[in-house]
Amino acid sequence: MEAIHARYPFLDPARTAVAEADVDLAALIRADDPAVARSQDRVTIALTEGTIESDRRVPTRTELLSYPLGRVLISLIDVPGAMDKYAEAEANTAYERIREDCSREDRSITLAAIATDLGVGDSIEWPSGDAGRYRISVERYLELAPDDESWSLAVRELADGYVTIAREELLELLRRTIERQVRAGLPFDVPPTIEDALAPTVAAIETQLSGVSYPASIDRFEPEAFPSCIRSLLERAPSEPLDPLERFALITCCSAVGLDADEIVQRCGRDDESFVYATERLAGETLPYPPPSFEMLQEAGICSGEHDGYEHPLVAYADSLSDSSTAVSQTE
Amino acid sequence: MNQRTRAYLQGRFGDYYRRTELSLPPAPGLREWGVIPFTEGPGTTMVRHKELVELGDLSTFLVDESPRHVYFSAGQYDDPGARSMAEKGWQGSDLVFDLDADHLPAVDPETDSYASMLETCKAALLRLLEFLRTDFGFEDDALTVVFSGSRGYHVHVRTDAVRPLDREARSEIAAYLLGEGISGVEALTSEETVAGLGRSTPAQKHTLTTDGGWGRRVHNRLCTLVESIQELDEAAAIERLHSFDGIGEKGGKMLYQAILDRPEQFSAGNLDVAGQYSHTLANQLLESVIEESAVPIDEPVTTDINRLIRLPGSIHGGSGLAVCELSLDDVESFDPLIEAVPEPFSGAEITINNREQRAVQLSGETHKIPAGNVTVRESIGIFLMARGHAEKAPE
Repeated sequence: MEAIHARYPFLDPARTAVAEADVDLAALIRADDPAVARSQDRVTIALTEGTIESDRRVPTRTELLSYPLGRVLISLIDVPGAMDKYAEAEANTAYERIREDCSREDRSITLAAIATDLGVGDSIEWPSGDAGRYRISVERYLELAPDDESWSLAVRELADGYVTIAREELLELLRRTIERQVRAGLPFDVPPTIEDALAPTVAAIETQLSGVSYPASIDRFEPEAFPSCIRSLLERAPSEPLDPLERFALITCCSAVGLDADEIVQRCGRDDESFVYATERLAGETLPYPPPSFEMLQEAGICSGEHDGYEHPLVAYADSLSDSSTAVSQTE
Repeated sequence: MNQRTRAYLQGRFGDYYRRTELSLPPAPGLREWGVIPFTEGPGTTMVRHKELVELGDLSTFLVDESPRHVYFSAGQYDDPGARSMAEKGWQGSDLVFDLDADHLPAVDPETDSYASMLETCKAALLRLLEFLRTDFGFEDDALTVVFSGSRGYHVHVRTDAVRPLDREARSEIAAYLLGEGISGVEALTSEETVAGLGRSTPAQKHTLTTDGGWGRRVHNRLCTLVESIQELDEAAAIERLHSFDGIGEKGGKMLYQAILDRPEQFSAGNLDVAGQYSHTLANQLLESVIEESAVPIDEPVTTDINRLIRLPGSIHGGSGLAVCELSLDDVESFDPLIEAVPEPFSGAEITINNREQRAVQLSGETHKIPAGNVTVRESIGIFLMARGHAEKAPE
C-alpha cells in the first residue's frame, strides 16, 4: 500500500491494493482496528464539513482501509442526503489533492494518469505543450458538465466531436467524475454480521448529525438521575452481556456526565477486554461521542418510550439531578 | 375516410409490403414497436409496447395487418414489451433529429407549395448534417438519413457514445443546433485581465473563441466582412459598416480605421479592437449567423429517449409515400416527390372522388385534379386519399 493509494482510494490502483491485501472487513471491525475510528471520522466530517481531510496524521494503511469501511458506514446510516453529501466531500477533497499533487515539480502524478484511472482518459486529448487547453469528447462533456449557463454546449468551442476546455474546467470535470464514482453503488447491502458490529459506530454518527440538543457540560454522576432505560443498562452491566448498541449507549451517557474511561469501567463493573477497549475508544477520544437520543434508543429496542416528553436522556438526567442548576449549557 | 377508402388503402399497403424487403434497425429485438392501424373515425389509436417477437416476422406482420403507420423506438430496452417505461429497463437510445417542414421558420404552410416546403426542409437537413459531421465529428457510417414520408426528414445517429446520453444531454445538443441560450457574443469569448497599453487601470480583454462552435461561425463571418471591407473605398466601407444596427458614423469610422490598421486583431478574434463598436458588430453578426445557420429541429423529438420513429421502408399513412432511407451522397439530389413514390403504386390508374380541384406535384409532374369522380394515376389517388382530400370511388 502506497501513500498515493490512501490519497486516492477510489482509483483502481488503490482498490487493487486493498484487494491484494486480502483484508477481512469483519475482522477489522471485530478487532476495532484504527481504520474503523478513522472511517467514522471520515464519514462524520464529510457530512458536517464537506471534506474528509483529517486534522491528524493517519497512517497509510488506516487511511486507505477507512475508505471501504466508510462506504459500509454510509450505506448503513439513516440521514437524508447522506450519500450525496458524502460523495461530494470525497470528491472535493480529491479535487484539492489533485490540484496540489499535479502542480508539484516532480510530477509524481499527472492529470492524465488520474483521468485514465478514472476511466475517462480516452475521452480527453492532452495538449503537447503547457497550453492549458484540453479537448474532451462531446459525449463525455455532456455527461459530466454542470448544469450552468457557462457550461452550456451552445456557448462552447465544439469541433470534430471535441469541446475545448481550460485546465480548471478539466479539474472540475474530474471532480464530478470522482463524485459519481464514489456515489455509484451506494448504498449497498451490508451483511448482518458487519451491520451488527458497526451498529455503535453508526449510532454515534447518526447522533452527531441528528441535531437533538442535550446538556454539554455535566460533571456529576448520579446513577438515580438517569432515565430508567440507561439505569437498567447500568444495573445489568456487571452481570449480563450487553449488545454493541447497549454498550455504546451506556458508555457515551457515562462519558457525557463527566466520567473518564477508567471511571466508566469501574462504575459499570466490567473489566472484560471488549468493554474496556470500547470505553477507551468512545470515552477517551478528543472527539466526544454523543449519547443516542430517546428516538434512537427506542428504535434499537433499548428504551420502551416512557420518558415524559424528553427527547434526549441527558436532558432528562440534568432535570433529575438533585441540584439541576449544574446543567449549564446546551449543545446542538 | 370511408370504409371503401380504408379497405382500398389497407389492401394496397399490404401489396406494397408483400413486394418490398424492409431492412430493420440495429438490435430490433431490443426496441419497442408500434403501429397505427386503419380504423374508423377521424381519431387514431397507436398500438404500442410491442416487442418484435410478438409481431413475429415483421414482413409477414405488415403484409397481414397492413397498418396505416409503423414505428420503432429510438430506445433499446431489457424488456421492450413492458407496459411502462420504468419496467422496460432503458439501455440507451439512438440520437434522433426531426426536421418538419411545417415548423420551419422559413416556411409558410399557408402559401408555400408542398414541394417548396420540402426543398426548404432539405436545406435545413444539409445544415444539420454539416453540424453533425463538422462540430460533433460523427462519422458518415453513424448517420442514417430518412425522408419521413410526409413533411420532413429524420436523422438517426447511432454510436456507442451517444446511446447512454440522457434527456438533459440531448437537450444541450438540441439547444446547440438551435443556437439557443447564447445571451450575446460575450458568451462566446474568453476573458483576460490586461494592464498597460495606455490603460490607466486593468481592463478585460475579450477574445472570440475560434476553435469551434458558434464562436468560430461568428469569427468566420467577421473575417469575411473584414476582407470585403478592405476591398472597398473608405466611403463605401464606412457606409457598409454603418448599415449594421447600433453602428453610427463614428462607429463606422472607428471600425474602418481598426480594419485598416490592425486587421490581424480581427483575425485573432480580438473583440476590443474598436472598443464597443467591435462588440456591437460581432453581436449583429451573431444574430445573423444564428438566423441563417441554426437548424430548426423539433426539439422534443431529440430529447425524448423513448421516442417512436417511423420505420424506414414503411408507408406513411398520411401521404401514401414511402419512408425512404437515403445515402448521404444522394441527399442533395433526392426529390421526395419522385423517389418516395412507391413503385407498386405507379403503374395503374384508379377512380377517386376528389373533394375539390387541386394541383398535385408528384412523380416529377404537376397534375391538376378536378373535383368529383376522376380517374388518376394510382400514386396520386393514394396520395389524395391518404391526405383526406379524396375517397375511393367505384371503378
